[in-house]
Amino acid sequence: MMTGSVQPQTPANEQEEDLVDFLEPDQLAVGRSRPVSRYPLTPHASFWLWVLRVFVLVVSAMVIYTFFVQLS
Amino acid sequence: MSPESAEAQAAAGGTIALPRPPLTHEDRDRSLDRARVHSARQGGRKWFLLWLLIGPGMLAMLGENDGPSMISYAATGARYGLGFFLPFIVVTFVIAMVCQEMCMRVGAVTHRGYGQLVLQRFGPLWGWFAAGDLLFTNLVTLIAEFVAIRIGLAYFHIGSGVAAVLGLALVVFTMSGGRYWRFERIVLGLAMFNGLFLIAAIMVKPHLGSVAHAMVTFSPFPGGSLNTLLLLFASTVGATVTPWMVFFQQSASADKGLTPRDLKQGRIDTIAGGTLGAIFGCAALIAGAALVTHGGASIQGLAGAGFPGALGKLDGKAVGAIFALGLIEAGAVAVLTISASTGYAVGECIGKASSFNNAPRNAGWFYATNISVALVAAGIILIPGAPLLSIALNANVLATVLLPVTLVFMIMLANDRELMGRWVNSAMLNRVAVVIVAFVAAAGAAYGIDSFLQTVHLIHG
Repeated sequence: MMTGSVQPQTPANEQEEDLVDFLEPDQLAVGRSRPVSRYPLTPHASFWLWVLRVFVLVVSAMVIYTFFVQLS
Repeated sequence: MSPESAEAQAAAGGTIALPRPPLTHEDRDRSLDRARVHSARQGGRKWFLLWLLIGPGMLAMLGENDGPSMISYAATGARYGLGFFLPFIVVTFVIAMVCQEMCMRVGAVTHRGYGQLVLQRFGPLWGWFAAGDLLFTNLVTLIAEFVAIRIGLAYFHIGSGVAAVLGLALVVFTMSGGRYWRFERIVLGLAMFNGLFLIAAIMVKPHLGSVAHAMVTFSPFPGGSLNTLLLLFASTVGATVTPWMVFFQQSASADKGLTPRDLKQGRIDTIAGGTLGAIFGCAALIAGAALVTHGGASIQGLAGAGFPGALGKLDGKAVGAIFALGLIEAGAVAVLTISASTGYAVGECIGKASSFNNAPRNAGWFYATNISVALVAAGIILIPGAPLLSIALNANVLATVLLPVTLVFMIMLANDRELMGRWVNSAMLNRVAVVIVAFVAAAGAAYGIDSFLQTVHLIHG
């Protein structure tokens, strides 16, 4: 049961109240900007992510080097 | 109601309604779109509901049928004719559909973009790595998009300055409304002209038996140098699945306001986009294959206006003009979607508003990044003597090389039960996703390592 005082509604904010019902709370700009908690990455997962990271950086460097050598 | 009066009421045992935050411009626009979706769903208007909810998937898939991709497909057709690479394009689009479905689902369930989630969930280091990869590959790819527009316009004897101005004007025009829906529908309308490649393919009168034979048997398998094959293999993968698509579809799904109730339509959107993309991509290869016995393999850059010019000489000016218009469209749509994905990524990573539903004054970083990357890329194509075809093919290879990290985080997000609840990946989907990551990593690495070893003369091609 709602016992609190009710703000007088103007047509403009009544329309806004209606509109906001079509959005999930997390879809509001304020909800979307709320940070999510950190994922507990295990040391094992972190290790493999770093392996993949280093691997793609090394291969990228090879591709870029080859591209420039072929240009000259 | 003030916070003090709310607390007083709570102390007195009354039920209180917490004041809602004021609606922003972004909220109002998104809720108007959601109101229409609600009305269509309540009214049982299924086709109208689908019309309202399609967009991010189509844009990602047709946006990826971009200038460098279409040049890459045509170059493959011109060099090898109809054969292995024709059905291989279809396979890569199936891979893209699997990856993009995950992006759409994560965006619809969490209402957040990929950059924001990686940054917040896995820490700033991984978030900025992801955004850095994206910025780099997007800039290279955007240069290639302007190159494609330039090649297309060159067929009509129009210079590179017009290509730069046209691309930039489109970026500014699509963003100017401060409304996601407007951006999406304009780009979607433009993207339908990707079908010009299908018209070009029909006009070169391909041998249908050869097309069917290649599709069914994946043959003939191309011969020639291993390194060239690996380049085409990696660039074909990179022509279909790229980091920007992951960022774009997840952020656009959230920006559009998709929710878990819309997953069915989101999947239809992704599959329809992938199917059209595969048809138009194969069409570019078929059109290019018309040149296989007419020196197609030697076509480079703007020499003789490249593929459109060569097709025009062989099959009539109309085919050349349609292929050229297709390249202009492919480049233009990709300039819009790739700059948008850069804007989303930067805005999300620095915690600033990043939505087309925001007015430029409220989302300065988003709009400024969007325009800045396009501006830099447009400037670079004005440099005379740039190796255009080489840039286009290498842009796709770089995207392939950097993609595995993006995909691994995507899979982790799609399996994150705290974020996704019951909408996490199934065990079967995870198995498929792991195979895809291994395949993409192998495709990029094989070319990168082989080319490097040849360049430093450790092996001979």
